[in-house]
Amino acid sequence: MFSMVYSGSLVAQPQGHEHVVTPPAGKPESEGARIVSGFKFKPLNFVPPKVERVVLENGMVVYLLEDHDLPLFNITARVRTGAVYEPPEKAGLASMTGYVMRSGGTMSMPADKMNEELEFMAASVETSIDRESGSVNLSALKKDIDKGLKIFADVIMNPAFPEEKIRMRKDEVIESIRRENDNPSQIAHREFRRVLYDSKHPYSRKIEGTLETIEKITREDMISFHKNYFRPNNSIFGISGDFNKDEIIRKLNAVFSGWKKEEVCFPEVPKVESRFEKSVYYVYKDINQANVIMGHLGIQRRSPDYFPVMLMNFILGGGSFTARIPGRIRSDEGLAYSAYSAFQTARDLGIFFVACQTKSESTNRAISIALEELEKICKTPVDKEELVQAKETFVNQFIFRFTTSASIVAQKVDIEYEGLPLNYLETYLENVQVVTQNDIQRVARKYLHPDKIRILVVGDREKFDKPLDSFGKVNVIELK
Amino acid sequence: MNKKTLSSIFLVITSIALFTGGSSANSLKLDVKEHVLKNGLKLLMLEKHDVPIVCLRVNYKVGSVDERPGITGVSHLFEHMMFKGTKIFGTKDYTAEKPLLDKEDDLVTKLSNERDKGESADKKRIESLEKELEEVRKKLRELVVKDEVFSLYLRHGASGLNAATSTDGTYYFCDLPANKLELWAFIESDRMKNLVLREFYSERDVVMEERRLRTENSPMGLLVEQLNAVTFIAHPYRWPTIGWRSDVQNITKTDTEEYFKRYYAPNNAVIIIVGDFNPDETVKLVEKYFGDIPSQPAPPKVKTVEPEQRGERRVEIEFESNPFIAISYHIPAIGHPDLYALDILSSLLSDGRTSRLYKSLIEEKRIAVMAHAYNDISKYPDAFTFIAVPRAPHTVAEIESAFYEEVEKIKKSPPSDWEVQKIKNQLEADFIRDLNSASGLANEIGEFEVLSDWRYINTFMDKLSQVTAEDVVRVANKYLAKNNRTVAMLVKKENNQKIKETKETNSAKKPALAH
Repeated sequence: MFSMVYSGSLVAQPQGHEHVVTPPAGKPESEGARIVSGFKFKPLNFVPPKVERVVLENGMVVYLLEDHDLPLFNITARVRTGAVYEPPEKAGLASMTGYVMRSGGTMSMPADKMNEELEFMAASVETSIDRESGSVNLSALKKDIDKGLKIFADVIMNPAFPEEKIRMRKDEVIESIRRENDNPSQIAHREFRRVLYDSKHPYSRKIEGTLETIEKITREDMISFHKNYFRPNNSIFGISGDFNKDEIIRKLNAVFSGWKKEEVCFPEVPKVESRFEKSVYYVYKDINQANVIMGHLGIQRRSPDYFPVMLMNFILGGGSFTARIPGRIRSDEGLAYSAYSAFQTARDLGIFFVACQTKSESTNRAISIALEELEKICKTPVDKEELVQAKETFVNQFIFRFTTSASIVAQKVDIEYEGLPLNYLETYLENVQVVTQNDIQRVARKYLHPDKIRILVVGDREKFDKPLDSFGKVNVIELK
Repeated sequence: MNKKTLSSIFLVITSIALFTGGSSANSLKLDVKEHVLKNGLKLLMLEKHDVPIVCLRVNYKVGSVDERPGITGVSHLFEHMMFKGTKIFGTKDYTAEKPLLDKEDDLVTKLSNERDKGESADKKRIESLEKELEEVRKKLRELVVKDEVFSLYLRHGASGLNAATSTDGTYYFCDLPANKLELWAFIESDRMKNLVLREFYSERDVVMEERRLRTENSPMGLLVEQLNAVTFIAHPYRWPTIGWRSDVQNITKTDTEEYFKRYYAPNNAVIIIVGDFNPDETVKLVEKYFGDIPSQPAPPKVKTVEPEQRGERRVEIEFESNPFIAISYHIPAIGHPDLYALDILSSLLSDGRTSRLYKSLIEEKRIAVMAHAYNDISKYPDAFTFIAVPRAPHTVAEIESAFYEEVEKIKKSPPSDWEVQKIKNQLEADFIRDLNSASGLANEIGEFEVLSDWRYINTFMDKLSQVTAEDVVRVANKYLAKNNRTVAMLVKKENNQKIKETKETNSAKKPALAH
C-alpha cells in the first residue's frame, strides 16, 4: 500500500539499511482508501546537503552549510547557560540577561545606534536565554555580512547592560506578570509546573521570575552571569546561506579574536526528584470554559526510549485529530477545540501532560475520557495499524526537516547541544522503524501513570457537570 | 490580511527558477504559470526545485463577508466539515449511512422544535426523541472511519495540514513530499465533488468551544470582535468570522449545503502549487481529477457599502482582565493606490525598535508594553487598526492621547528620507527571505488571488517605490481623522459573582451531545 521508500538513502546510511514501511495489516476501511492503496508513488530522491563541522582555535564549534540560491546569511550561537543556573532568590536573572544583552547595546555601540544600523540594512540580531540554553542570532543580506557579523560578535562579547535598559525590561516583565492571570491557559501551565516539581528545583519556577525576585536582580548580577557563560568553548555556532566557507572562518576568527577560552563553572542543578502523586488542583476564574491540564513527570530528552515514547504519544494524543484523546474528546463528542497530549522533554525529567479546554458543563466528562485513554494504552497493546500509521507519518514527514539550509544547520547545532548522537538524523528513520507494538506498551506502562496523575483545572466549578472531587480531594489555588 | 503578509512581497535579483527577467531589481517577477480549466477552476503554479516537496493550496473565494445574519460563522463551520469525509472517504458504506444521516437530521429538527416550546414542551416526547437520536448515532458511529482524510494525508507525510477562514476566503493547506501529488488531487477533487456532512452536530459543538477559547475568554479576541462590530454598521465585516454565538448554535445542515453548492464550485476556487513538480504533467493531473466538476452560476458580490462615518464612535468592554485599547480607521479596498502609502505609514509607526510608536510610547514615555499598527488590506474596504497594551499604572486614556500625538506629528511633517528608505529596505529583504519558503510563497499567491489577483505581488514593489514622504503625510491626514475612527477599550470588570450567573444560562439549556 504505502510503498514509499526514500530510494534507500534519504540520508547517508553506512550499513545500507533499507527503510521500507511495512504495509498496513488491515484492509482499507473505505472505498477511497482502497483506491489510494492502488496508487504507485515514485521513490523520492533526495540526499540532504552535507553540513560541515569545524572547531576553531578558541574552542568554538561551527557548523556550516553554503547555500547560494538567495543572497542571505544566517548565523546562530547556542550557548550552554539557562535559568536553571540562576539562584532562586534572583529568579528571572537569566532571562533578563538574555534580553538586555541586545536591548542595551554594547560598550562601543549604544542601543539606539545599533537599532538604527541593523534596521536600515534590514538585518536583525536577537538574543535570549531560556530555561536550559541561550542563543544569539544574526540574519542579514549577503552584502551586509561584515557589518552584521561585527555587531553579532560585539553583542556576544561586550554587552553594556545600561541601568536604564535594565529598568525598562524589569518594568515590562512586571507588566507581563501582572497580566498572566488574564489568560486561563497561562495560569494553568504556570500552576501545573509549580505543583509538579519540588519547589526547590529550578524546573518549578517561571523563567521570567516573580515580582519579588526581579527587583533583586542587579546590573552586576547580569554582567557576571553573562561573563561566566558566554565563552567560545561553551558555544556552538551554525552558519547557513550565501557565503564561502574559508572566507567566513577567517572573518569569524577576526571578529572573535579577543574572545578567550575560559573554564565555565556551572552551579549544580539538583536531580529532579521522581515524585508521582494523585492530586487535584482547582483555580477559580470567571470563565465559561474550563482549562484542564493533567499529567506528571515525563522523560529526559536523551532518554533511550525517546522514539517509542514519541510514537506512543502520537497514538495517544499527539497525532492531531487522528490520535485517541482528540479523537474522542474533540471528534466524537465535540467537547473541545483543542485536546492533545505531549511529552515536553528537558535535560532532566520533563513533563507529560494532557491539555484541553471545554465548556464548564463538560469538564468532568473530558477529564474522564482522557483518563480512560491513558489507562487503555497501558492495558491493551495498540493496533498494528495504528502503529503503522504513526511510523509512516514520522518517516514520510522526515523530508520536511530539510526544507531550508537554516533549518538543517539549526538541527545539527541542536543535536550537539542536547548531547544526542551526532548521527541522529542519519539514524532517525531506523530508530522509528524498529519500534514494535510491545515497545509501545512497555513505554506506556513505564512512563504513563493514570493512577498517580495530577489534574489541574482553571474555571468555575459551580458549573461543572460533576463535582471535581470525584477525582480526589481538591486543593484550591488562590490567584494573587 | 495584515501588513505582515504584505511585507513579504518584493522583487529581487536571483538565479533560481522562481523568477523571469533581467538584472535590475524592479524588473524581476514571480514566474507564476496560470492555467484555467473549462469549468473555471484556476491553477497557479510556481516551480522551486531545491527540495522534493510540493506546497498545495485550495482556496475558495468565500468568507464570512458572504454570510448574512442568522448564519454568521457558516463559512468557518464549513471549513471544519471539509475534513469529515466524502461519499468514499470517512465511511465504511455510504449507502447504509445516508438514510441514517437523514434520520438524524429529522430527529434533531423535531427535538429542537419541541425544545423551542420552552415551558410548554412535552418532556416525554423530548425524552423519546433523545433516545431515538442516540440509537441512530450509535449506528452512525459504527459506519464512520474516523478522520480518514486527515490520517491518510498524515501517513503520506503531509506537513502543515490545516485550513483557515477569513472575512474574504477559505484556505486549505497541505504540503506533501513531491511524489504524492496524485494523492492530493484525488482527495481534494473528491472533497469538491462528494462532500458528506457527517458528524455535523458534534463539529458545531467543536466550533462553539473554539469560540469560547478564542473570543469569549480571551481579552484580545473580545476586544477585536467588539471593535469590528462598531467600526462597521452596515458592511458584513462587522460580524466575526467565527460567527455570533446564537448563529453558530443554530446553523442547520440545509444552510450549510446551500452554501456549499454555491460557493464551493470550481469557478469560485483557485489551486496553488509551489515546489518540485512538472507543470505540464500537473496540468494533466488536475484536468483528470477536477475537470468533470460542473461549474455553478457566479456567486453574488456583496452589495452593501459601508456608509461614510459621521463622527467618532467609542465602545467600552468590561472583562475580567487588565486593559487594552484598539482604534480603527476606515480605509479603501485592495486596488486603491493609497494603500501603498498606508503600508509605509503602518511600518513607520510600529515596525521595529526605531519605529515612532516604539520609541515614543514604549521607550520614552514608557506607558505601553506593546503598540502596533496594522494596515488590513481586504477585498472590500477594511480598516487601519492600532492596538496597544498599557503598562500599569498608565491608562488606556494616556495611550490614546500619546497615539494621537504621534499621528499629528506625521500629519504635519513628512517622515525623514532615512525612515522611508529603511522601510523600503526592510520590505525588500523580507521578500527575499520569504523566497526560502515554498509554503510561504504558496500562501501569498493564494491569498492575493482570493482578494483580487496574485499579480498584486509582482507590482507591489514598483508601486511602493513610488510612494513619497509627502504621500504618507497625505494619507495620514485623509484616513487617520477623528470622524473616521472607532475607539474600543477593554476595561477591568469589578469582580462581581452575580454578573457571571446570567451569562451562560442560554447555552446551558442547549442539548449536550449524546455521550
